[in-house]
This record gives sequence, structure tokens and C-alpha cells, in this order.
Amino acid sequence: MNNIEEKLWNYIDGSCLPDEQQAISLLIEQDELYRSKYLELLQLNQEFNAIELEEPPMAFTYNVMEAIRAEHAQKPLKASINLGIIGGISAFFIFVILALVIIALASIQWSSINPGLPVTNFQLPNFSKYFSGPVIKGFLYFDVILGLFLFDAYLRKKSFSKQS
Amino acid sequence: MQSKLSDIELIDQTLAGDQSAYADLVKRHQRFVFTLALRFAKNREDAEEISQDCFVKAYRSLSLFQRQSKFSTWLYTIVYTTAMTTLRKKRVETSSIDDEDNTIQIESNGRYDENNAENRSRSFYLNQAIAQLLPDDATIITLFYKGEQSLEEIAQALGIEANTVKVKLFRARQRLKEKLERNLKHEAKELI
Repeated sequence: MNNIEEKLWNYIDGSCLPDEQQAISLLIEQDELYRSKYLELLQLNQEFNAIELEEPPMAFTYNVMEAIRAEHAQKPLKASINLGIIGGISAFFIFVILALVIIALASIQWSSINPGLPVTNFQLPNFSKYFSGPVIKGFLYFDVILGLFLFDAYLRKKSFSKQS
Repeated sequence: MQSKLSDIELIDQTLAGDQSAYADLVKRHQRFVFTLALRFAKNREDAEEISQDCFVKAYRSLSLFQRQSKFSTWLYTIVYTTAMTTLRKKRVETSSIDDEDNTIQIESNGRYDENNAENRSRSFYLNQAIAQLLPDDATIITLFYKGEQSLEEIAQALGIEANTVKVKLFRARQRLKEKLERNLKHEAKELI
């Protein structure tokens, strides 16, 4: 009986090969057992098709969207780090290290270490003239303006995320 | 009112930052996801938790959806894995076929009224029978009849072979039929 039912379910679902489909169709026409079973399963199939879906609570969508918003708000600092900032900091440190290495190398008296080495006439620029009073004041003034600008951008971003 | 846009269009809008598009997607699929979750959880509170978790997970991984299958198939994969994980965590015992307590719970969930037996339709008994099935059987029946999923898509959602789905679907139908007949017989006896 199970074998007949299996064949008939495949026939109803349309999941058997065309030859099988034709053979089963013939059996339904000619065999009373097949016909009665087929009608029984067909009725069951209609009932299964009419199964009703459950209704979730009214606020379901709202709750899902709230959970998503909450997750966004709780996003860890690690996930919200701007890669541009990391790159900028790295570039600054690399620049400082390279500058220190160059200064260190330039200040070595190579001829005194090994008299055989040719004397190079490499001279570092005179940095002291660049660090005169007005230049430093200008630099600090620029830093303060930049700091205020960044702080303002941060506050704006914070108030915008609170509103949304 | 739900959006007429396709799932893919709504996904594109969501990925572009429009959260209301995702709300439309949730509205579109929530009944089915909730029903599937209920097949595993057997109570509405747990089903709500599972289905909510599914939609949050789907949102989080939306950019990873490769669009090689229907969005619904992908979503049901999430429902299935989330439900299994949640059940494992909560150590909820799956109801056995002859579990009397379970029958009582189902009847109370279905707002069983002893004095109003004639109001119970065949669809009531069908829902009751589905609730008595094992979660896997109930899920396959629901996916096939209500999820508009082919055997191949169900196989993808459950992570098994299409032929296995065919066999499982056949067995699930057999069991559902038996349960339906048993419940109806039991009801007829009660009336006599």
C-alpha cells in the first residue's frame, strides 16, 4: 500500500518521470484501488494546501526594527573605527621614524669611524630657522582651529545619530 | 500596506541604507517565518524570539546573500539553523507522538472549548495534527505547502539531498494523515 501511496504522491506532486506519470495515470483509470487511493490523497493534498499560517504579534515588525536599531547603537568601538584615521596615524609615525633615522645618520661623522671612507658633504638643512617664534605660533593656531573643527564635526554627528 | 517591489529590489534598497525597505521585507515574510518557528518551539513566546532573531541575523548578513537562490529559501535556512540552535540552548524536549501533555497544550493553544465541539472544523484538526508532528516533519510539510518551495529549495534550506527531502516529505505526510485520522476518531468517540 505504501508503494502505491508513494507513487501516487509523486504523481500528484508531478515529481516523477513522464513515462511513470503516464503509467500511473493509466493505473488510476483502470484500477479501482489506485483510483480510490488517488482521490483520497488528492483530497488530503487540498487540505494540506489550505493549512493556515500563524499570525505573529501585532508589534512584530516594530520589534524586529527596534532590535536592529539597538544593535546599531551598541556597535562596538572596534567596528566603528575609521580606517582612514588609522592610516593617517600610521603615516605620521612612519614619517617621524624616517626623519629621526635620517637625522641620526646625517649626524654621524663617518670619516672618524672609518678613515678609508670617502667624506660626504651631506648637510642637513638648518631646522632652527623654521622653528622661529612666528612659525610655531602659526602652527599652534592652526592646530587649535583644526581641533575645534573636528570637535564640532563630532558633536554634530553625535546629535544626528541621537535624532535618527 | 506592503510594498509591491520584489524581494531583490527591497534588499538593494536596504543595502543602500533604507531601513523601511527591510521593514517591508519583514512584513512580507513574518507570517511564514513565525509559523516555521512555531513548528519547532511549540509556544508563541519562543517562536517570536526565534523569528525575531532570524530577521536580525538576516539583516546583519544581507550583504552576504549571493542571490543564487530565492531570498525566502535563504531566510528559511536561517530559520532552521536558528531554531535548532535555540532549541539546543533551551533544551526543549521535542514532543513525542503519544505525549498526552502535549495534546493538552495544543488544545489550549487552539482555544479548545469542550462545550463547543461542533465548532471545530477539519482544519482545526489538521492544525492540531501538525502541532503533534515532530519539528522536522512539520517543517517539511509547511515549507512544501506554504513556503512555495520546490523539493530542491527545501533541500537547500535544510542542508540535505533533494531525494532525502522527497522521502521525508512522504513519511511526514503519512504521519500527518495518521494523526489526523486518530484525532478525528478520538473526537467521534467523545461525541458518542
